[in-house]
Amino acid sequence: MRKLWPLVYPIFLMIVAVILAVLFWRSVLPDLILVVRIDLGNLVFVGGVITAAAWIVLMVLWNRELTRSIDRVQYEAADEKRRFLRRLDHELKNPIMAIRAGLANLEGVSTGDVQKQALSSVEAQTLRLSRLSSDLRKLSELEMRPLEKTAVDINEMLSEAFNLAKDQPNANERELKLTIPQAPWPLPVIQGDRDLLFLVVHNLLDNAIKYTSPGNRIEVRAFEDGSTLVMEVADTGQGIPDDELCHIGEELYRGRGARGIPGNGLGLALVRSIIQRHGGQTIIRSRAAQGTVVTLRLPVHSQYKFTS
Amino acid sequence: MAIKSKILLVDDETAITTNLAPVLERAGFEVAVASEGEEALRKVSGTKPDLLILDVLMPKMDGREVLRHLRADGNWTPVILLTQVGDSVERAMALEEGADDYLNKPFDPHELVARIKAVLRRARPGQPPLTAGVQLVCEGLVIDRRSKRVHLNEREITLTPKALVLLEYLMTHPDELLSRERLLDVVWGWDYPVETRAIDTRISELRRVLDDDPNSPAFIETVSGQGYRFIGGVRIQDAHP
Repeated sequence: MRKLWPLVYPIFLMIVAVILAVLFWRSVLPDLILVVRIDLGNLVFVGGVITAAAWIVLMVLWNRELTRSIDRVQYEAADEKRRFLRRLDHELKNPIMAIRAGLANLEGVSTGDVQKQALSSVEAQTLRLSRLSSDLRKLSELEMRPLEKTAVDINEMLSEAFNLAKDQPNANERELKLTIPQAPWPLPVIQGDRDLLFLVVHNLLDNAIKYTSPGNRIEVRAFEDGSTLVMEVADTGQGIPDDELCHIGEELYRGRGARGIPGNGLGLALVRSIIQRHGGQTIIRSRAAQGTVVTLRLPVHSQYKFTS
Repeated sequence: MAIKSKILLVDDETAITTNLAPVLERAGFEVAVASEGEEALRKVSGTKPDLLILDVLMPKMDGREVLRHLRADGNWTPVILLTQVGDSVERAMALEEGADDYLNKPFDPHELVARIKAVLRRARPGQPPLTAGVQLVCEGLVIDRRSKRVHLNEREITLTPKALVLLEYLMTHPDELLSRERLLDVVWGWDYPVETRAIDTRISELRRVLDDDPNSPAFIETVSGQGYRFIGGVRIQDAHP
């Protein structure tokens, strides 16, 4: 319940009612007949209790309505954001397409070294824009497509993502470790979209490799505590400064330390979106110059609802 | 001199058509342009192109409607749709409505040239393309694209939705080298981490269910380092009465 302090009012009212009632019951007002005094006292007491009770009920109802309104506003805001991203993506496509076609034409014309270099640089930037456009599309589509729910073997999924990361060129210079518990029992099988969960872990590992230097450690671990499956990707890389931490999951946001490293700031937004659709949470903790850990919490029991 | 194939390029964005046409011409095609659906239909009956490239989102009449008109008239000229929506359901529907292939914008113009060549190679003039068939057959393997059911030697087999999409695409594009990226796009709608083995897993699933030995395949062949190819001969099965 948000803000419990308004309950003070009805409680205060109750106390006042009780005090007044007691005063009436006792002989504080001598000029009134005893019977009247008692009746008055009862009236005040009952009146006070009813008013306080009504107040409390109204508070609870109001609070529930408030929560519902807040949820609705949040949902509408997310919806609007999705629509904006789709519109943006739509508007970007045609100009980028025209540019790529124009560049393909220029390729056919024999040019000098200076032109060749300029052309190749323009092509690289266009490709970057093109990727951004398709990543935006991915993100907006992801929030709408139905999830393919199957029983996901977390062990197998993590191992595959981990092995794929190990095969990446930069990974050779980092220390990679995967810890999956076998005792007292292996990780539970959860209901989810296996490919999307794989994408999440892959993205996090990709980030870990990007934002670490040779010699740093990257650790992947998972465990369950009965009701929740927890997966973590941690690294000893450059970390995220405090002032940037709250923004880090936002679309297209890239911290200062990301300059010069390829990427478009959509990876974590994608991760958050997928985990949220699985009814879970994404928590990012980091210390600048020490490292970062991204924790994914997913409910184990199938009572939770998939947002579809 | 070889006769050049005639392409009709339809897109309402002139920036795209004026830049794309020369690229296609340099690749050896004869290119005509239309900027919207009705004009495209007029030009189809006029110049009789060998292939149409249709943008999906156009004012007045969009690409899919043009496609429907053509197919309803019994015109099986190969069509490549340029889709702008990232919706895989829409794309699957486009193939069912009779498009031969599709490409998401923005694409590499050279990729378009490659697709055009592949579609033209597959085209059987006057006959409906495989993508128009409801039931496709390869040896004992039958896929009903409308009911989404697959039978192998008279016995029905179950596939996950993604494996089904993949099989359908493989069978409508036989004898064509399909890169992993392209297959990912078909199944997923976007190029999900490029190095992923998601496609490999689905192919393994298909092979298992189809009882296809990767070392001497009857259906799906691995082209090392590049992708996969459906090597069985595919034909349209006449519907049972």
